[in-house]
Amino acid sequence: MLKNWTNIFIYHIRNNKFFTVLNILGLSIGIAGLIFAILYWNDEHAYDKWNPEKDKIYNVMNDFGGGNIWTTNSPIPGRMLKETTSYLEQYCYYRPYYTKETIQYNGKIELVDKIFSAERSFFSFFPFEFIQGNAKTAFSDRNSMVLSKETATRIFKNENPIGKQVKYADRIFVVRGVYKLPEKSSVMPAVVTPVVEEELEKNKENWGFNYGLMLKLKKQSDTTAVIQNLDKIFLEDNYKKQAKAEGLSLEQFIKQYGDPIKSRLLPLSRARLFQGNYAFPEKNGNLQFLKIVMGLSILILILSIVNYINMATANAIKRAKEVGVRKIIGASKSQIIAQFVFETTLMTLFSVLLAMVIVELSLPFYNSFLEKNLVLIGAQFYFQLIVVFFAVILVSGVFPAVYISNFETLKVLKGNFSRSKNGVWIRNGMLVLQFSIATLFIIGSFIVYKQVNFMMEKDLGFNGSQVMDISFKPQKGKNQYERYKAIKQELLKIKGVEGVSAGMFSIGSNENSWQGLHYKANKEVITQQLPMDFGQLNLLGIKILKGRDLNPELATDSISSALLNETAAKTLMVKDPVNQDITFGGQKFKVVGIVKNFHYIGLEYNVAPMIFFHIKAFDWMTNDMRNITVKISPDQMPETIAAIDKFWKSKVDQEYPFEYDFVDKNFARTYKKYQDQRNLFALLNVVVILIAVFGLFALASFSMERRLREIAIRKTLGAETNTLLKELSKQYVVFCIIGFLIGIVPAYLLMQKWLENFASRIEIPILPFLAAFVSLLFLTLTIVLAKAYQVTKVDVLRYLKYE
Amino acid sequence: MITITKLSKVFRTEELETKALSEISLTINQGDFVSIMGPSGSGKSTLLNIVGLLDSASSGSYKLLDQEMVGLKEKQKSQARKENIGFIFQNFNLIDELSVFDNIELPLIYSNVPSAERKSRVNEMAKILGIAHRLKHFPQQLSGGQQQRVAVARALINNPKIILADEPTGNLDSRNGNEVMELLTDLHASGSTILMVTHSDYDASFSQKTIFMKDGAILSEKVNHRNVDVLVNSNY
Repeated sequence: MLKNWTNIFIYHIRNNKFFTVLNILGLSIGIAGLIFAILYWNDEHAYDKWNPEKDKIYNVMNDFGGGNIWTTNSPIPGRMLKETTSYLEQYCYYRPYYTKETIQYNGKIELVDKIFSAERSFFSFFPFEFIQGNAKTAFSDRNSMVLSKETATRIFKNENPIGKQVKYADRIFVVRGVYKLPEKSSVMPAVVTPVVEEELEKNKENWGFNYGLMLKLKKQSDTTAVIQNLDKIFLEDNYKKQAKAEGLSLEQFIKQYGDPIKSRLLPLSRARLFQGNYAFPEKNGNLQFLKIVMGLSILILILSIVNYINMATANAIKRAKEVGVRKIIGASKSQIIAQFVFETTLMTLFSVLLAMVIVELSLPFYNSFLEKNLVLIGAQFYFQLIVVFFAVILVSGVFPAVYISNFETLKVLKGNFSRSKNGVWIRNGMLVLQFSIATLFIIGSFIVYKQVNFMMEKDLGFNGSQVMDISFKPQKGKNQYERYKAIKQELLKIKGVEGVSAGMFSIGSNENSWQGLHYKANKEVITQQLPMDFGQLNLLGIKILKGRDLNPELATDSISSALLNETAAKTLMVKDPVNQDITFGGQKFKVVGIVKNFHYIGLEYNVAPMIFFHIKAFDWMTNDMRNITVKISPDQMPETIAAIDKFWKSKVDQEYPFEYDFVDKNFARTYKKYQDQRNLFALLNVVVILIAVFGLFALASFSMERRLREIAIRKTLGAETNTLLKELSKQYVVFCIIGFLIGIVPAYLLMQKWLENFASRIEIPILPFLAAFVSLLFLTLTIVLAKAYQVTKVDVLRYLKYE
Repeated sequence: MITITKLSKVFRTEELETKALSEISLTINQGDFVSIMGPSGSGKSTLLNIVGLLDSASSGSYKLLDQEMVGLKEKQKSQARKENIGFIFQNFNLIDELSVFDNIELPLIYSNVPSAERKSRVNEMAKILGIAHRLKHFPQQLSGGQQQRVAVARALINNPKIILADEPTGNLDSRNGNEVMELLTDLHASGSTILMVTHSDYDASFSQKTIFMKDGAILSEKVNHRNVDVLVNSNY
């Protein structure tokens, strides 16, 4: 039986080479798209799977209200929770970010990225496999350092690193262990040190939210109790104490400062794809993008399956006689179904193989696009591939097979069946579906394109194209601010440098620091602080709307004058905020000016309330400077940069390399992921349109070729080509319009939802809808008319004589 | 072998009721060669289709091998058809996409005959019908007579109890038509039961009995006496 089936299958392939190839190609593109999405999906879901402790580990997050959920914590609650309750096996504070610093060994300097610091309990939370040393003794003292295998090889080459001394952060550390990194982990450091413990010690009574905090619970069921206790700790140790210090009752205090912070627990297993602030230094995956990729690839697969079904049912008419004969000589319905499912299975098999080839060839591009390192292996992946394989067969094979097996034998054999209307509604319905999906894609990619362009062209409120943001690493025993003042003088002497200033912030980066702003009896406003040197606003082209900038001539301006941005000014709720007295971070300031709002983080977010004051306003800040901004002339930029580089390396920092970024480029990174989405959408758009065009062409060909006799008769009766063309293409235009009308609803809703990501966004314009309509109609007419024209040129005699 | 009593077939549309067959009674015995004649629309093809289980009757009884066929489910009909009936059509109804061998082999496949046996039976049948040298060809490459031989071979391969022929010579010239009729006569002589619909008196004269139909009823029956030199094939 298989041989018989195969013979007839091969016969049809031979006689329909063109359509078979297109069909397989379409299906394989659809499957390839899904494979890409699955690889991405698996990669993101593979994080922390290796960790045997993952089900017991939770990250503590703090809900400040109003959608502000921080993943950082004060050093207090972890310790207190451990002391007062019995839920914890352990807790661990860590820095939720990596640093990039130099490590010296034997006078050789290596610049190492992904340096991480956590408390000693870290290795029981992330039990990396130790190649040398062991987890217990790794952090035997505060000068311990543990390296990943790669880092150890880089620094020590062939030497045994254990017990060796290295210089890092102006201190001597002893290497006590070497570990192997797991494949995917929320923490994948090159170096781990316990230096954070000193900071924690120093700030152990401080309620500043600066550290990541992991808890390892004894029982998963204790989460609710743990949250209750964390909330209680905050209320008792923070709010009640503060209220007492200010002489307020708790109720009054809450009224003024808002509700106390609510704790939340984020399980480690969900940390990677958590949408919000990242809790671990490897940061979060882009869940939304992942969902978009997955959704779109499924849509494309559906599109190609629809094509396949259309082709199969259209083709079936040609094979009606075969089916009829088979039935008469004894084939049962299930045998007919089996035969056609068998054919689909072979087609799907070819398509899957071709899809694998497509994926294998284009994986490097995909990887560089996602900045990942995906590979086509893994038991999980092959299992999923088999599932996809059977799902495709099920959807695209069974349906046409059942349809075919239901042919009425007698009608088929009596002839005329090939011109019957059988199944025409299914195919037309499918065609409408394809038009809808195409509409969705065209409109979607157009709107994404517009929004991304809008972001790229938007006036951000600052001008960063000439401004270099140079990273400025501290040196032991020297005050950063004093160093900066000396460097500034030198930099200004370099030709092409137009201005030098500094701020304890970096536009477009994740660096931000917040404190409470108080004005009279108003409720506390959590405000982003932007300490800076004189001239910084001017350097960045940030406008002042009212009042004045900080002035070096006025002694008070470096101590107690501040500017607010428009958002912050609004929170004072007074007509003229200039000259008002405010309290910020426990210090009194006078508002001297209002700064025009500018975007600091991505355009997804509204501009936060901001306060600007001089770095020296808070004593402790002068040592925390990490950036210097330099404005250079647009002429001869490379020469100027080279000169700064030379100066920097010889006079400022011999160890750490000269690192800078232009402020506008820095900011552009915040919308890079949306540029990626735009490019992806554009690419998929091309694929979708190709598949849809092919589907339309195939279907139009089939249905027109079935009407050849009719056309021949009409021509004999004197029909003109124009009339015939109109007659033949009319229905496709109608389907195109119906499909478009169905497609615009989901397109509108989905794009509305996508645009909700952005605080600064476009309204959905009409143009994409018009463009989608016109381009779809144009494509439809081109294809259908071309085919129809070809059909009207048939040899009349041949078809009249036939049958 | 076949007993038909008071069999009727009514086609209904919204306004019209057409009786294609009205209360026909007919018996065909084992080894009979019966032909049905009549003008277009007399119901002869409808009768053949009902006998061949391709169509169902509105009322009456149709017994095939003493088993009632009226009211059977599609699956049971299909089973009965597969086991008992071989078809020969005017337009041959060969599958153009399959070779002669594959075409003849099909019924055996659907009857779950093992591959080796299928091969030997097809070869044997082809030899008998003189198309052994054509097995690798496709139907379109054969003459009309040869195509009909292939169709006959396919009809016979499963050793059916009765052969139904629907104008088997209708698409053939007289020489090829004659060949096919002789083939049927041979089959009859070797014991096959045959029911044939035809327009041609000449073709009908090959059968033992001719039934004339008109307007869905049997008009008359005639027994033919014709002496044909029959070469009884000892292999069959």
